[in-house]
Amino acid sequence: MSEIKKIIKGCLAGDRRDQELLYRRHASKLYAVCLQYSGNDEEARDILQEGFIKIFENLENYKHEGSFEGWMRKITVNTALEKFRSRHNLYRVDDIDTIIEPDAEPDNQDYAGLEANDLLDIIRELPTKYRMVFNLYAIEGYSHKEISKMVNISEGTSKSNLSRARVILQRRVGSYTGIKKKAANE
Amino acid sequence: MSEKGANIDLLFRNGLKDYEVLPPAGVWDGIQSAVKVKSRPIILLRVAAVITVLLTLSFFTYRLSMENSGTPESVVAYNIQAFDPIISVPLDKLKPLEIKENNRFNNTTAFAPVNNTTDVAIDFDINDSPAQPLSIMETRSLSISNTLRAKNSLLTSFNILETKSPEINYPDFQYLPENNTPKLVNRWSITAMASPTYYSAINAGSDALSSQILSSEQPLFSYSGGLAFSYKISKRFSIQSGLYYSSLGQKVDGINSYSGFQQYGTTKSGHNFEVLTSSGTVVTSNPDIFLSADGAERIVTAYTKDVFDPNKASLQPVNTSLDQNLSYLEFPVILRYKLVDKTIGINLIGGLSYNLLVHNSVSTTLDGNVYPVGDTKGLNPLSLSSSLGMGMEYNISSKLSLNLEPTFRYYLNPFSVTSGTYIHPYSFGIFSGVSYKF
Repeated sequence: MSEIKKIIKGCLAGDRRDQELLYRRHASKLYAVCLQYSGNDEEARDILQEGFIKIFENLENYKHEGSFEGWMRKITVNTALEKFRSRHNLYRVDDIDTIIEPDAEPDNQDYAGLEANDLLDIIRELPTKYRMVFNLYAIEGYSHKEISKMVNISEGTSKSNLSRARVILQRRVGSYTGIKKKAANE
Repeated sequence: MSEKGANIDLLFRNGLKDYEVLPPAGVWDGIQSAVKVKSRPIILLRVAAVITVLLTLSFFTYRLSMENSGTPESVVAYNIQAFDPIISVPLDKLKPLEIKENNRFNNTTAFAPVNNTTDVAIDFDINDSPAQPLSIMETRSLSISNTLRAKNSLLTSFNILETKSPEINYPDFQYLPENNTPKLVNRWSITAMASPTYYSAINAGSDALSSQILSSEQPLFSYSGGLAFSYKISKRFSIQSGLYYSSLGQKVDGINSYSGFQQYGTTKSGHNFEVLTSSGTVVTSNPDIFLSADGAERIVTAYTKDVFDPNKASLQPVNTSLDQNLSYLEFPVILRYKLVDKTIGINLIGGLSYNLLVHNSVSTTLDGNVYPVGDTKGLNPLSLSSSLGMGMEYNISSKLSLNLEPTFRYYLNPFSVTSGTYIHPYSFGIFSGVSYKF
């Protein structure tokens, strides 16, 4: 039996040590996901806590098919979405199927020198509705149809939000890269 | 735009892949207090399973004992009403009536009454051969059980009508009925019993503190044993009391102990550390012991991690848990009801016990060596527990029997009341022993 299977078995039997072991092993990765979906640290902490409670409560439903880490990540993302739905009202722009092109092009396409924490900072600066759609589409790989159901918006709104998110991100990335280059030259 | 979009997507997807951020402290505490609720029903299910097994065992034992003893019941009563004479026996021809019944009542004898207004009941013990009347009691009537009515050989002796009970009129009943009721013999018994005991506790509240405390405690080997006297009140009921000694223990996990702390001084209060447990607050009395815990709330001390580091001070690690031991003298008052009174008897047992605290210590071990740590403060010197069990009794002889009594015990008041906690201990033991009746 693999180690993760033993830990899961222990968790299912209510073994506190195995539960803590599971948490210690995966909390850091899942907390990064929580930060990615939340606007502040407090919200990220809540998502992590609620997400792990759901993981433990639903552990018996995990069939050992596919990645366990992926299964936990999915629960964490869903928890973030639930929180998002309960706290935010997305601007529902119905029947917009045309993608609104950005009115300004990004000024820099050289992304060299950006660290993961820089990317996290940039993504967290996005408005909530854009951040959600961008994360679900670009990072998690959901389609606009799926996102529209998950976030309760139309497909058009999802496309629109993604487009706007990309523009903002490209600008911010350009700014970050410029600042970093300037700092490096000095 | 779409190519630029794809590039920016890739940048973030790859850049954030496998990225990790250490979560803030305290998140785990919130999680474990919430998920603990889920593990409780497992214990309840185990208790339910044990009860089910006991009931099943009892049922099969009952069936077995019934098969071994045979039917019908060993004592029967005859109902003979005296009015229209069907069988008239002249006074000078009064003699015992012979009753024959298919090898079961060999030489069974019924006595013919003389007085036609007197009703009698005659008890026979079927197992005794030849059967003899054990007693004759005054009563309104004598009845023959339905089972016996079917026995033709018996009924013909009384010339019974189909629709009525057998009726006999005896003009002159000279045989005076004895007015003695059957006496219970061997009313007293003494029992020596002992049992290994599983000891744990139930969190009656839903607070996070109680859950956290309980989750870190594991039962140690516990036992109970003693002598009990019981007095038979009636054929079914008996009352029992005596003196038992119980040793209970639990392991408190997550408490790291180190030795060699004495040289670093002690606090003015006389003890260096306090540890919160479900049984009370453990207070150290050994100045050489240093304690630390992962969850800082469990230990109250001036020597917190930021003040004193046991590793830097090169203290010797002893263990990661504490052993908490308590001993009680128990004075039970137990009522027993005999469900089945056969060679293998079954008793229902219930009652209360007063428990007097006689020993209280906390220690930790390293390679078999026991390091005393201190004791538990705030314990109730007297606690009350309720017992419920089902006992099996195998009668080796009329005086001696072997007993097996699975018993569940629930402590009505906690061993101690720690502020904010609602923890009730319980124990389960399978008592076995010997009884001598006198």
